[in-house]
Amino acid sequence: MKSNQIRNIAILGILISTMLGCSKLDEKLNSALTFDEAKALTSAAPLLRSTYNSMQDALTSQDRFIALQEHPSDAMVGPTRATDWDDNGVWRVLHQHTWDADHAYITRSFQNLLIMQYNATNVLNFNPTPAIAAEARFLRAFSMWAVLDGWNVVPYRTAGSSLADPPLVLKGKQALDSIINELTAIIPELTNGPKNRANKNAARFLLMKCYLNKAVYTGNRKTITFDNADMAQVVSLADQITGYTVSPNYFSNFDPSNSASLENIFTYGGGTSENQGRAGNNVRSRWHMSMHYNQNPGGWNGFTTIADFYDKFEATDKRKAAVHPSTGYTNPGNRINAGFLIGQQYNLTTDAPLNDTRGNSLIFSRNVATNLQESSPTTLELTGIRVVKYTPDYANDDAPANEFVFFRYSDVLLMKAEALLRSGGAGGLAIVNSLRATRGVAALASLTNSNMLDERGRELYWEGWRRNDQIRFGTFLAPNQYKPSVSPDKCLLFPIPNNDLAANPSLQQNPGY
Amino acid sequence: MNLKLLAKRLTAALLLLAMPFLVSAQQKTVNGKITSDKDGSPISGATVLAKGSKKGTQTAADGSFVIEVPVATTKLVISSVGFGTQELTIGADNTANSILKANNEGLTEIVVVGYGTARKKDLTGSVAVVTAKNFNQGALASPDQLIQGKVAGLQVLSNSGQPGAATTVRIRGNASVRQGAGQPLYVVDGIPLDGRNARPQLSAVGLGSTPDVDPLLFINANDISNVQVLKDASASAIFGSRGANGVILIETKKGNGAPKVDFLYQIGSSKVSKKYNVLDAAGYKSALSQYGIVSGDQGSAVDAQSEIFRKGLSQNVNVAVSGSTDKSNYRISLGYFGQEGVVKSSDLKKYMLNFQGSSKVIGNKLNLDYGVRVGQVNEKIAPVSENAGFEGSLIGNALQWNPTRAFRKPNGEFDQPAGALNPLALLEAYNDRSNLLNASIFFSPTIKITKDLEFKVSSSISTQTGKRNAFMKDFLNQTDIVGKGWAFSADNTLSTSLINTVLNYKKSLGSNIKIDALVGYEYFKSDRKGSSAFGKDFKDIPVNYTNILQYASQSSLAIGSFVDPSWELQSYFGRAALNFKDRYLVTATLRADGSSKFGKDNKYGYFPSFAIGWNVSNESFMKDISAVNNLKIRLGYGVTGSQEFPSGAAQDQYTFSQQSFALNNVANPKLKWEKEKQLNIGMDFSLFKNINVNIDYFKKDRTDILFNTQVTLPGPATKYWVNVPCNIINTGIEVNLNADIVSRKDLTWNLAVNATFMKNKLTNYKFGKVLTGVISGQGLSGVSVQELVNDQPLNAFYTKQFEGFDGSGGSKFPNGLTKTYAGNPNPNTLLGIRSELNYKKISLVLNGYGIFGQKVYNNTANATVGLGNLGKGNVDVRFIGTGEAVANTPSASTRYIEDGSFFRLSNASLSYNIGNIGNTLKNVNVFLTGTNLFVITKFTGFDPEVNTNKQIDGVSSFGIEYTPYPAAKTFLAGFRVSF
Repeated sequence: MKSNQIRNIAILGILISTMLGCSKLDEKLNSALTFDEAKALTSAAPLLRSTYNSMQDALTSQDRFIALQEHPSDAMVGPTRATDWDDNGVWRVLHQHTWDADHAYITRSFQNLLIMQYNATNVLNFNPTPAIAAEARFLRAFSMWAVLDGWNVVPYRTAGSSLADPPLVLKGKQALDSIINELTAIIPELTNGPKNRANKNAARFLLMKCYLNKAVYTGNRKTITFDNADMAQVVSLADQITGYTVSPNYFSNFDPSNSASLENIFTYGGGTSENQGRAGNNVRSRWHMSMHYNQNPGGWNGFTTIADFYDKFEATDKRKAAVHPSTGYTNPGNRINAGFLIGQQYNLTTDAPLNDTRGNSLIFSRNVATNLQESSPTTLELTGIRVVKYTPDYANDDAPANEFVFFRYSDVLLMKAEALLRSGGAGGLAIVNSLRATRGVAALASLTNSNMLDERGRELYWEGWRRNDQIRFGTFLAPNQYKPSVSPDKCLLFPIPNNDLAANPSLQQNPGY
Repeated sequence: MNLKLLAKRLTAALLLLAMPFLVSAQQKTVNGKITSDKDGSPISGATVLAKGSKKGTQTAADGSFVIEVPVATTKLVISSVGFGTQELTIGADNTANSILKANNEGLTEIVVVGYGTARKKDLTGSVAVVTAKNFNQGALASPDQLIQGKVAGLQVLSNSGQPGAATTVRIRGNASVRQGAGQPLYVVDGIPLDGRNARPQLSAVGLGSTPDVDPLLFINANDISNVQVLKDASASAIFGSRGANGVILIETKKGNGAPKVDFLYQIGSSKVSKKYNVLDAAGYKSALSQYGIVSGDQGSAVDAQSEIFRKGLSQNVNVAVSGSTDKSNYRISLGYFGQEGVVKSSDLKKYMLNFQGSSKVIGNKLNLDYGVRVGQVNEKIAPVSENAGFEGSLIGNALQWNPTRAFRKPNGEFDQPAGALNPLALLEAYNDRSNLLNASIFFSPTIKITKDLEFKVSSSISTQTGKRNAFMKDFLNQTDIVGKGWAFSADNTLSTSLINTVLNYKKSLGSNIKIDALVGYEYFKSDRKGSSAFGKDFKDIPVNYTNILQYASQSSLAIGSFVDPSWELQSYFGRAALNFKDRYLVTATLRADGSSKFGKDNKYGYFPSFAIGWNVSNESFMKDISAVNNLKIRLGYGVTGSQEFPSGAAQDQYTFSQQSFALNNVANPKLKWEKEKQLNIGMDFSLFKNINVNIDYFKKDRTDILFNTQVTLPGPATKYWVNVPCNIINTGIEVNLNADIVSRKDLTWNLAVNATFMKNKLTNYKFGKVLTGVISGQGLSGVSVQELVNDQPLNAFYTKQFEGFDGSGGSKFPNGLTKTYAGNPNPNTLLGIRSELNYKKISLVLNGYGIFGQKVYNNTANATVGLGNLGKGNVDVRFIGTGEAVANTPSASTRYIEDGSFFRLSNASLSYNIGNIGNTLKNVNVFLTGTNLFVITKFTGFDPEVNTNKQIDGVSSFGIEYTPYPAAKTFLAGFRVSF
């Protein structure tokens, strides 16, 4: 072959390879949507579902916002049990009020709540129907309320703003006004239910929390002066929340069939039926986090309540302890399986007494170690009174049917009573006594700040309100059984996580941190 | 090709043991051995031809050859790279041994550089070559293990002892903060690989995820002729945005000489190299009484480690048929590699076919290279995870098992106490299989346009499919499994295609100037997709759950599928090398890389390099200096990149879950590659003619570090890819010595030592705290011990200071919960040693390496075998009698940071070169090899060479040990034969 033919072949080769080349390098996502593609889909419903899903991390996990509301309070403590629950002291510092701005769960709670806020806002970028928009706005308000309650500043993005721009920062009253305006605006748009979706009464409930705590959020949280007008709003909203009754069976509000509860106003659905496709609601961690390994279902042997708190309950109080029916076992010995677990524990099928993992009798004691670090191998698994508020769904431990309860009607009644108490109005005592009667305890002679707070504790323990209540009633900084001294004022707010301070220069650290 | 002859050889291969003697009538057989004049070392791969004939053969690894020549032939012609051509007279007994004289000390050696070749003496960059003769010996599943400890600046960490597990490879220190990033680019026969594999990831319920598989597994180690490591930017910049972590070029063997069959068989046995030192039953009982614990003695005496470990059988069979004529060459190899893991129910089986050939057509003006590589990799995977939670995984469960507790109850059922997983029950309940099939073809025509100008097209298509089926039986007493059982089935496909075209011009201008220049274009595309299904509640159905996924309960079913955004790369590159009088060398390269992954504001990156070299020895003033020869000084500077982030990262992505979608990735139109600037100053010389020395200084400066981070909140639930403008600086000095200490006729001793001294630092870092090095285990949720901190080494340990125990046996932490700097996981010294001793027909090769100066966090001691187990589970022997109380909390602290320095005799091989047996069996060589013979270290865990995956938010950890699959010690025997 001649060399010019070779050259021709070479030129052809070069041409072909150059033609093969010249890719524009456009990237197709293949299994995801671009913003424009997503927006072209007329329904914002899938994004709304994602927003509901984001409540899982932010609001239902035992190491997120609910932990920040309970562990620092006088109702919950997470003692370290040798190899268990040290977690570099993350639980102890919550109870002892010695957290810092790197605290893992303070950081993640803040972040998960803001992610939930964004997901809700993003629904509004996708041409939602008015009903979907109202639900999204409710979820946004709920997450913003939680951030306001914890940190007093709320980083905020309006719908349509670019993620490349720095977010706004709403402080105290500014944030509260924004939440109140939103909730007020969406009530007409929201539907009446179902209770595992944002609804009119859920918005009214949250609005009640806003007005009840308005003096807290707009002041320094230490010296709190309540305004009668706000209390009147609380009362008026309470009266608009109708169609619920206090359930005679307290634990039926939390058990695997609590979707039928007449008390629950806003929940995160459980199981698989109504919420197919939604992330789980973490209800299982409610029992796992407190029960011992050898109980059924086997728990994580963690959190306990505090004896002083337990002692606020009278013997007949149905909220204290119950033998609650279960489909999972026969409970031949009629052992207490709901409420507070103390003393010897039993196998609920055979009624045999249980042991701990070292062979000691599984007897839950009243107290944990003073420094929250158990030191005796014979008792370290046994200390502390355990709490089973949500009774386990034995058959479906990993996807229990129990709904996670955010808002409950008895809280509406207690908030109304408190508002009446604070504004000097009549009727508060009657409301509280009526509730107490249903719960199996005698009427109070009078209503005071102190017994009002106690009643809230008895009714709403471990539901994620205790820190909020204690701050409003001025007892949050006070010593308790495992926190011997008065906490510094800075503890009324959580610190802004260091990572978020670094990322957002317009955020300022809360005083004292 | 002589088909008849080939058929005969093949028949011989199959009937090797039964039919050892085949005679060829009209020819005579000549045997011989070729050694180097320098050190007497055998020269492998030398071409041996009958004079006046084109029929020839090649010398084997031990320098021996066998050639059939016409009876009349009296002379052979021997040629070898670096030694020139020499004639040799055939002796009366038909033997012909020769000592070849090195031709200019081996420096005309041709080395493969990116997209071409170069004479080694013309190199200006830092390139290390490891030839097959110098590879590590043993049952090595994957090519990266062949060069472990062989190259200065190269760190290959075996992450897991699971056969076939991925390694962590770092060239010149750690410059990457992200999980899975930092691995070098692998280029096999000129084809850059994707770097990933198609094995589906499994994060088993309650167990965590098992370690990844090595992406090079489908390459047959017996097919590799040499591996070259491009370390500095002047060498690797031609690979542009994929070159920053260094480049490893793998060249496979080509057919050469008369048709021949090479046969290798190797069989061996592995056992775990070290057991973790936990209490035995007697020690446990005495510890119980020592600490006054009344419960806990269950009355039996068992050793859980013995129950889960075993002796594993390894076998390696390889047949290669090769040959060449003056117009073409071919090589076909078939290989089987089987390795049973030292942990029960884990093994690896590889079946590999490789065909490679080339043909010259059109009067030698068109050369066609072509090949097919097919590999099937079957794995059984043990339930040993990298990130097990409080319930641990298999090894941890075995270490924790109470040594006085029988594994089974009297009725034969597993004893499964609450709070402990029975390791034997776990072994029986867990079943995990992976099958990978890799097929690739390449075709590469080269046209010689003129004498000086060549045009080459290389094209390759490769597809890898991975299938993984795993299930866990319902009888295991673990919260999420007992009474349920789960099954997982997934498949992934990874397809890559590549075409590049290179125009190469080589010309001598007069006698003083040589030019070697090329320009090229490359297009690379990679697609990955897959699907998976998961279900629970199979209960006690006695069938492999993965066969009946439809039986799973509706609520537990989870299915998913994905197609990753395509990854396309389009590149233009060029290189010019100028050689003036063989004294002054200049090389410049430039690559423009476009990637579909980059943000739209940064579609193309430009990666230049420039280097100069000075062959000082060629200067007249060096003529009289006899002690120093071949002195060359090199200086190079270049810019390379790393684009190890997923495709789609620069765009907004709304991803799907059941009936919903959500924003999961936030666009960053500015997203681009990490950029690395590297300076290299090097010097090569030989001393007294028998010591070769290379010294290199490097400074690598990595910036625009890729992070996958949170958008300023409020924002979507992660992630946002961003280039953070901080710097990761790696500096170091590499020294490489190769000495022929003894070079006598019957006795030679060669010693090669490489050492690297290096430092690593993160600087100009002004952003939020980045935590990594999560510690797993009970009571350790959310605990991490490493941070990225400005002006500290990457992954610096930060944890609580531990100062012994107080009077009541509690840990003393003088700084409370405050974390302080607690050491550097990055080594400051790497060492590699190879010794080869030849005495007559016996040869002893030792390979060892060491890594020094690094701290290792012993997560096992922290989380798995603490004193707090006493009464429930087992305890590290060291923790008895230290003054610690049983109920002391084993909080993460400096207590568990240990000196990770070690030296390992990685393999030793004794071989005896029998030579020829009869006229048919040639170059018979039998050998014994031991691998991982000993480790010298202070580290108390299984092995200090660790890197379990302890990432947080994609930021990788480094140097944390967490009860990995332990390393094996292996003894092998085998033989090689050609015919």
